[in-house]
This record gives sequence, C-alpha cells and structure tokens, in this order.
Amino acid sequence: MPTFKLDGREIPFEPGESIIKAAWRQGIEIPHYCWHPGLSAPANCRMCLVEIKPAPNQRPVMLDIVELDRATGEYKPVQKPKLMPACQMPAVEGQEVFSDSSQHVKEARSHVQEFLLLNHPVDCPICDQAGECKLQDYWLEHQGTQKRMRDEPIHKPKGVVFGPTIVYDGERCVMCTRCIRFMEEVAKDPVLEMRERGNLNEIFVAEGRKLDGNYTFMVEHVCPVGALTTQDFRFKARVWFLRSAKSVCQGCATGCNAYLDYDPRYNKAHRYRPRDNEAVNKFWMCDPGMLSYKRAHEGRITEARVGQKSRATKEALAEVKKLLGDVAPEHVAFVLGAQASLEDNWSLLALASKMGSSRLYWTGAPAGASDDILISADKSSNQKGVLALAPNAKPYSVLLDDVRGGVVTHVVALGSATPAAGADDASTLGMLRALVAIAAHDDGALTAIAHVVLPACSWAEAPGTYVNKDGLRQLSDKALEPIGASKPGWEQVAAVAKQLGHDLGIKRVKEIRAAWLGTEAAAHASPAEQ
Amino acid sequence: MLKRTDYLTKTYGKPEGWTLGVYERECHGYQTARRVLSTMKKDDVVNEAKKANIRGRGGAGFPMGVKWSFMRPHPTKPAYLVINADEGEPGTHKDRTIMELNPHSVIEGCMIGCYGIGAHVAYIYVRDELHLSKARLWAAIAEAKAKGYLGARPFGVDYPLDVVVHTGGGAYICGEETSLLNSLEGRRGEPRLKPPFPAQAGAFGCPTTVNNLETIAAVPSAFHMGCEAFSKLSAIHHLNDGGVRLFGVNGHVKNPGVWECAVGLTLRELIYDLGGGVLGDKPLFAIIPGGSSTPVLRADELVHAPDEKSPLHPWHGQSVLDVPLGVDTFRGIGTMLGTCCATVLAEGTCPVAAMHNLMQFYRHESCGQCTPCREGSGWLLRITEKILDGRGTMEELDQLHDIANNIMGNTICAFGEGTAMPALGFLKKFRREFEAYVRGEKKKSTDGRLTVDHHDFVGG
Ligand SMILES: Cc1cc2nc3c(=O)[nH]c(=O)nc-3n(C[C@H](O)[C@H](O)[C@H](O)COP(=O)(O)O)c2cc1C
Ligand code: SF4
Ligand code: SF4
Ligand code: FES
Repeated sequence: MPTFKLDGREIPFEPGESIIKAAWRQGIEIPHYCWHPGLSAPANCRMCLVEIKPAPNQRPVMLDIVELDRATGEYKPVQKPKLMPACQMPAVEGQEVFSDSSQHVKEARSHVQEFLLLNHPVDCPICDQAGECKLQDYWLEHQGTQKRMRDEPIHKPKGVVFGPTIVYDGERCVMCTRCIRFMEEVAKDPVLEMRERGNLNEIFVAEGRKLDGNYTFMVEHVCPVGALTTQDFRFKARVWFLRSAKSVCQGCATGCNAYLDYDPRYNKAHRYRPRDNEAVNKFWMCDPGMLSYKRAHEGRITEARVGQKSRATKEALAEVKKLLGDVAPEHVAFVLGAQASLEDNWSLLALASKMGSSRLYWTGAPAGASDDILISADKSSNQKGVLALAPNAKPYSVLLDDVRGGVVTHVVALGSATPAAGADDASTLGMLRALVAIAAHDDGALTAIAHVVLPACSWAEAPGTYVNKDGLRQLSDKALEPIGASKPGWEQVAAVAKQLGHDLGIKRVKEIRAAWLGTEAAAHASPAEQ
Repeated sequence: MLKRTDYLTKTYGKPEGWTLGVYERECHGYQTARRVLSTMKKDDVVNEAKKANIRGRGGAGFPMGVKWSFMRPHPTKPAYLVINADEGEPGTHKDRTIMELNPHSVIEGCMIGCYGIGAHVAYIYVRDELHLSKARLWAAIAEAKAKGYLGARPFGVDYPLDVVVHTGGGAYICGEETSLLNSLEGRRGEPRLKPPFPAQAGAFGCPTTVNNLETIAAVPSAFHMGCEAFSKLSAIHHLNDGGVRLFGVNGHVKNPGVWECAVGLTLRELIYDLGGGVLGDKPLFAIIPGGSSTPVLRADELVHAPDEKSPLHPWHGQSVLDVPLGVDTFRGIGTMLGTCCATVLAEGTCPVAAMHNLMQFYRHESCGQCTPCREGSGWLLRITEKILDGRGTMEELDQLHDIANNIMGNTICAFGEGTAMPALGFLKKFRREFEAYVRGEKKKSTDGRLTVDHHDFVGG
C-alpha cells in the first residue's frame, strides 16, 4: 500500500482516498465538520485545512497577508502558505502533510472555529447536543478563547418543524450540508436544501414536502452540532448521564449495528445510535430501527403467567411440570424463535434432545416492507441463526398442520409472534393440551394462548448472538438490568429442563457459546464480537 | 502609452451599430469566422489563439489560448463554450457596452471559440438586470441564424453551431465561473470545488471553457489581423499581455466611460486624458484599479522595483499612475488589474466609508457556503460599520486584519480573497483615518455618502 506522511507518521492509503479518510482509518482525527466518511466531501467548513509540502519541482503557493506592529500602528506585509482541505485532497505517495505540527494550520483552525461560533447562540445549557457536540469539542481543542465579537449575533429561524421526527434550529447550524447530502445521497430523497445567502443561510424543506420517510433520524445523527434534534429524544436526557452498549438492532434481518444509549440510574433505554460497520449498515439505521429501542420497555412480559394470570415464576414452573411431566416425547414440539438469540435457541434445542423429541419448528415476526437501502422484509433478527442451528426445523405453518392433525399436542416455544397472524392461528393453538411460551414481548398468538408464560429478558438485558440475513454472526451486549421477573431466555429454558428432571449443563452464556463454537466451523466474526 | 483603437468599438455610436449590416460593413463581420471554419484545423486555431496573448478579461488575467488548450475531446461527452457576461464586479461596466453596441463580435467570437475547443454550443450567461444586452444578443443571434452563419452548416461547413443566451441567477457570486455553471444547470449558484476544473468537468459535467464576454469578443479582430500582430499592438507584448482591450473609468472623474485602447495605457492617461480628470479638479486621492476586489492604490504611491530583473524595474521610483495597466505589472505593484475598470476617489473621500461600502457588498454577496467567507465577511462589515458610526474600539480595529488574514486563501472560491484583499488594502494604506474615527476625531458625513465635500467635511 502506498503511504504518505502526516505529522511525520507514515499513513497507508488506498489510491484515490482523501488525506482525511486515510488518517481516519488509522484512528487519527483531522478536525472536521462537513466531512463524513459515508458522504461526499463539499469541503465547505474549512476545519480540516492542512499544510502540504510542495513536490520538489513545485513552487509553494504563498498568500500576501499583513502583521500589525502594535508599537507603530503600521502593517507589515507577510506571507503564509496556501492550506488545503484534507477532505478534498487525495493522498499522494510520499507526500508530506502537516496537521497538528503546522503553526499555520493551528491558526486557521482556531479562526474557523471562532468564525463558526461568531453568530452561534452558545445555548449549550439547553441544547440536546451538549456533551457530544463538535463545536464544544473543537472549541476546547482548537480555540479556547473568549468570544471577541460582543454584539448581538444574527438571528435565524428556530424550532422549525421539518417533519414528524425532526426539528431545526437555524442559529445553531454550521451549514455543513451533511443533512442535505444524506437525504440526497443515502436516503435518495433530496428534500432538504439551503436557502438565503452569506450569514443568513438556512436549511429548509422543499416546498410542499415534509422531511419524512424511513431515514429522517439519520439527519440528526449526521448533524455535527445541535441544529437538528429529534422529537423523540429532544429534552429527554443529558447525554453525559447515559451509557452506551454495543447493540444489534432487532427490527429486521439486516441486523444494523447500534449503540443502545441508556440511563443506568433508572435502568432506562433512551435511544439508538448507529454503530459504524462497513459490512452491515455502514453508518446508518432506518427510522423504525432507530425507534425500536423502545421495545426494551414497551410490550414487555415482566411476570410469569399461568392460565393468563400473573404468578410467581416458581408456581409457573410447577405448572410446567404438571403439564409436560409425563407426556410421550413424540407429541411434544419445540418451537425455536427467530427473534431470540442463538443462546436461547441453543438451550431449547438442548432441551429437545434431552427429552428425546425431534419435533422442531420455528416461528418469527410477520414479514413486512423492504427497501434497497437497509430495510429487510424479514422482520426477525435471527432467522438465519435459527436455521443454522437447526436446519431441519419446520416452518410455523407445518406446526399448525401438525397440531390440527393431532400429531403435536404439547408445545414449548421461544417467543410470542408468529409469521402469519391469522384468526385460525389462535383457534389451532387452542387445540393444544399444553403450550409453554418463553418470551420477552407480548406481541403474538403464542403468549396470548399459552397455558404458561415465562418472562424472558429482552435483547437489551442479556448478551446475545444474532445472525443477520447475510449470515454474519453479531453479538449484542447487555445494556439494562433484567426488568421485573425476567431472566435470559436460556435460563428459563434451563429452569424448565430442571423441572422435568434434565440438566442442560449450562450455567453461563460462555458455556453455551463454547458448545456451539466447538462444533460449528463456518463462524463469521463481526466487529461486535471482537 | 495612450493609443486608442477601434477594432471592437467601431460600431459604437453608429446608427443601428448593433445590427448585422453595420457589423459586416464596418468590421469585416463574420469573414474571419468563415475563414477559420473553412480553412483552419481545430488545433491550429488554438495555437494561433495563444499568440494573441489575450489575458482573460474577467479579472484573473489567465491567457485565453492556454485555457483553450486544456480542452481534450471526451469519448462520450460534448464540449461547451460558456461566456461569462455576469459582469457583477462593482465598478465594472465594459461587457455591457459590447453586448449593447457590438453584439455580433460576441457571436462571431463564440463561433471561432467553439470551433477551436471542439464545442458546438456556446451559452452566454448574461446578468439578469441587463435587459437591453439580452435583447441585443437575441436579435444578433436571430440575424446570424437567418443568414445561416449559425446553424447546421455555417458557411457551408459541416460544423453545426448554436449560441444560447441564458439569463443569470441575479447574484454576484454567479459570476464566479463554477458558480455560473451551477446556475446555468439550474442549481443554486454556489462555487464548485476545484479540481475538477471546467475543462475536465464543466457545464452538465462536460468539458467546458469559460471565457469572459470581452475575452471572446476580442477573438474576431485578433484572428482577422493575425494573432501575433494583434498581440504586438500592446506596449507590453513582451510581458505576454497583448492586443487591445476596453478600459473603463468611473467614480470621481468628469467623464466616466469606456474606451478601447492598446494595452499599455496608464492610470494617469485613463483618468486625465480619457476620464477628463478628477471631478471638481480636486487632487486625486486613491484608485481602485480594476473592480472592487482589487486592492486600492494611493495616488502618491511610488513603484519600488530596484531589482533589475523585475519586469517593473523600468518604472522603479515612478508614480504607480505611470505604470502600464497590465496583468503582471499591476500584480507587481501589489494590486491587480482585475477587470480594467478603475474607480477614482477624489480628495475628500473617506476611506473608512469607502471600505464600509465594499464590505456591505461582500457581506451581502457571499454565497455562505464556506465558513471563513460566510462569517468573516459579516464580521468585517460589523466592525467597519461600528468604526464608521463612531462606536468602534481600537481593539476592534486591530481585529480587522486578523479576520481578513484568515479569510485569505482559506475559502472555496476567490470571493474570499476578493473580500480580504480590498479590506487589507484599505487598512494598510489608510490606517490613520481608521484610528481617527476610533478616537472620535473624524465622523461620518451626515448624508452617508462616500465623499466628504468641503462644506460638510468634519474634522481633518
Ligand atoms: C466572486 C467572483 C466573481 C466573478 N465575477 C465575474 C464576472 O462577473 N464576469 C466575469 O467575466 N468573470 C467573473 N469572475 C471571474 C470568473 O471566475 C472567470 O475567471 C472568468 O469568467 C474567466 O474568463 P476569462 O479567463 O476570459 O477572464 C468572477 C470571479 C469571482 C471569484
Ligand atoms: S442542520 Fe446540521 S447537518 Fe444540516 S447543515 Fe446545519 S449543521 Fe450541518
Ligand atoms: S469564498 Fe465565499 S463566495 Fe466563495 S464559496 Fe466560499 S462562501 Fe461562497
Ligand atoms: S471537513 Fe469540512 S472542509 Fe474538510
């Protein structure tokens, strides 16, 4: 790989790559506002200016400026080298680039930073971005001086509702056009534009339109400052109280990598943020995905149920023993859950094999809409994983046939939702002699009909592995403490096993993973696992 | 050296001078295009054009022929010639006269230019407000089409040519060539990043040459007499600054206007011989040599070029008023030739008010795309305004050059320099006047005009 030198350090680069991107790949940040690794480079913020040593046969481009001799009040002509934006300039083999080591660069940066704050309201105390704002970070790193302009700043529209999800504050906007470019280049819906001129510029939504569709949250995400806020997160939390867990979105089979931001003080999830993964979601997530963090709290099963009445888990387990204790194994079906983790599913498989049943089926969420950006029609997060663990598991429709035919009379299921939520779903399940469901959410026929329900942790409360539609195995970390009486699904399965006199031999997640990693050769590593 | 010519301006003042008949009678109209299209090869046209040493008349002074030579045929895309007739630079009023009084020279120039760079269509981007200019160009195009000069087979040659007039977007920044291309394409008039340069990806992503209107209008006369001979009309032909051009003067002169002269004219000749001298016979105070973006010269400045190798050495020790108006000569004296239309400031003009006037313009016209220009231009105006209003502090005065220094070179387009250079120019040359305002020794004239007349001149 060719290299160039940045502040004396060798930086490898892909031919054609910009200086800023090559540095970014090495974990070196050249300060920037408008550049984003997933968008085009307009080079408008000028924060990334660097000094490039001219090639031996090139003359440096020098600019005439002045210095003030304060003693005499005379200006003295001086020169400075022309700086170039690192986001625009392609890296060149052997070139020497000066960033932090150039006095000229430092001067330019501190002035760009000062320019950006010149008409900024500096309303950090009431701004949602505070704590994760580039203006704050770079002020500290590259400016650090008080505001020299003491007059009333320019006023611009504030609290402009762009659409159902996004609110705009023109005074905080640094005109980096990331939001415009995201809508045009990634969402393929060029609904945002710039209007006015000079320091009156503002972002607006095209006449007759709203900022809507499936990718509006991302404009807030790409906005480096507090100019765009989401109706959902606005005024809800201060980010410095939040912790982030590396999570995987459960909204569909794409498995976008995300940070789940939560407040540990209240055990409450507050939002999702995309986590960069070139192989999966690049830098983005869709709106339904972004909002799916709410499933950490909404629609949850937090207590055990017997006959649809709340019971202590112990009582529910005793009921399980009564229902399944001495049934012939060939009548007991095990329904794997495409919305549950590999760990939970593995434990259910282990139970089936201990009980000597080979009646395996699988269930998952009903299919939905898809697009060619991120969204998959398969709304389950782990169908690929389930089918990899149990290639012979039969689809849910076959289960219904087998129940109607009287072959299956007892069921142990992971999850609540079923692929085709039809009316005969419920009536068929109603024919069962026993239905035990282990689930985190109450969103389908399985938990609605079940004789016994055991509360499982959601993906947010237990670490779990999910295989996305491309077969990529991804780990989602635990963020929250288990809510109510819920326990990780595999623990509930192990408890059921114990009631029925079997020992699955697992006490920790690690043991489950060791069990399948030992047998499965084609394991994909994902960044989340590393 | 004052040498008036009338290659381009022969039709000026003639009855119906803008019509095809007069153009053909007085200016060998379309004979040159006919000869070039029927006898010359494309590359020969470019080589010939280089010899004319026509320095771009839009302000930057880039050699026209060299710019044409950057055009490479694209395997799939057409090429375009785009003519910049946005003429928005304050103090610039020359292109307009050509469009109104000799529009056929523009059309003929476009034909030769297109042929040379391999284009079949030329777009003339005319500043929105210039309604008569547009009408005259449209009429000229219609006449040229009716005669078959423009069309599928100009002069029977199988080289289709068309010229289209496009009404501008109504902003100064649309005169910057890449902004102009955006505007032409129906986008927001914002400069593009370079590279790619227009010759690589210009109008509609195709190879494009952008020439100023006067630049292209000079082409027929240059090719008519032979480009080298044309270049030699200039007194500074040896500095690769050739031919004849339009010289304008405005501001405090008795006879503001535009004249065609051989390159080599001096400011003194322009102001006194052509412009009729300073209004009210006042002493000359300062000159903005070529549009508002070019740094101001004091009337009492002398050339400092002791180095014998310097192209300016022949004028060492002389007044800047006696240096020939040329691209490199004016760069040598620390300013720019720009558009070659000088603005004259008479004694009594307040430089603080003058700078304030310019800063108002730049603050208003910045496209706002890049940070230093968007915010810096507004800050420069704020402080200048406070100083002019008697509210400025010494601390703020001392911030002005720092702001300009940090706009300079740090922006996407040359508008940034166009703002910083005049600001630094006024500061460097008139710091004492700014200080006098801060100390309250001088006040703004009550009617807000730039000129402080003898009767309402307050203070020194
Ligand atoms: C802010 C700005 C405004 C400009 N306005 C004009 C203009 O009104 N007319 C013009 O011909 N060139 C203008 N220019 C220069 C053009 O960008 C370009 O250099 C010119 O059209 C090239 O033609 P030439 O080489 O024939 O001079 C402007 C440049 C800048 C930076
Ligand atoms: S709203 Fe945010 S992303 Fe959009 S231009 Fe302003 S600062 Fe940039
Ligand atoms: S320098 Fe000024 S006019 Fe040019 S692109 Fe930047 S903001 Fe726009
Ligand atoms: S990051 Fe904005 S100019 Fe480079």
